[in-house]
Amino acid sequence: MTKQNLDIFQAIADPSRRAILKLLSKNTLTINSLAENFDMSRPAVSKHIKILCSAGFITIQDIGRERHCLLKPDGFNELQKWIEYFDKFWLTRLQKLETLLNNKLNN
Amino acid sequence: MTKTIQHQYFFSQTPEVVWDYLTKSELMALWLMPNNFLPIEGRNFEFTTKPIPSLDLDGIFYCKVIEMLPCKKLVYSWKGGPGGGIMTFDTIVVWTLESKENGTELLLVHSGFNEVENYNLYLGMNDGWLKNIKKIEQLLNDKKNDETKP
Repeated sequence: MTKQNLDIFQAIADPSRRAILKLLSKNTLTINSLAENFDMSRPAVSKHIKILCSAGFITIQDIGRERHCLLKPDGFNELQKWIEYFDKFWLTRLQKLETLLNNKLNN
Repeated sequence: MTKTIQHQYFFSQTPEVVWDYLTKSELMALWLMPNNFLPIEGRNFEFTTKPIPSLDLDGIFYCKVIEMLPCKKLVYSWKGGPGGGIMTFDTIVVWTLESKENGTELLLVHSGFNEVENYNLYLGMNDGWLKNIKKIEQLLNDKKNDETKP
């Protein structure tokens, strides 16, 4: 669990990896065609892809000799879980503040 | 589906009263969490609550006052993790108070889940997933057809 959470946030902390996700949101791409978009070596791109894969943001499908990358919902769902938690957290706290201030007003 | 954490509230009190509840440790504890907040820019402080197993958080939020504009704006960082000094997330909480004729409008924005806001596109893109999956299916089928050709 710990590792997974860290993986998720670390995975998207890197600008190149965010760029990869952005490209894949438009199209599924092979590792080679992804690499063409970046000013770095293919092994470097592969490393980023591996990190995104293990964090659940993308999946790789082998089609013939080509490796196709496509987005996977798991990583995004995990992120959504965090946002929803804190959204609800603040809502309940603010409701508490409202009650407090209303009581203050009435007393 | 929630995409950004943002809440707007209206209170009948003046900004001065609402500000007190945002910046006085003992008043903050009444509605938010126990804390050792001090209203000084650059100062570190902590909120303490129960551990949150679902997110693997130990229940301590490590914060730092970034900006204070009395009765107008309060900004602090908001970090947390499973313990042992590991920080899973590093975010920003911004409170903005606006004086209104008969009270105060309070706006909270909690942002910076590693720019998760930029992922709105993907978070809501069920059509996109389908399209991608269909495309892969198509590729696989095409390949299969190629292979079966004499």
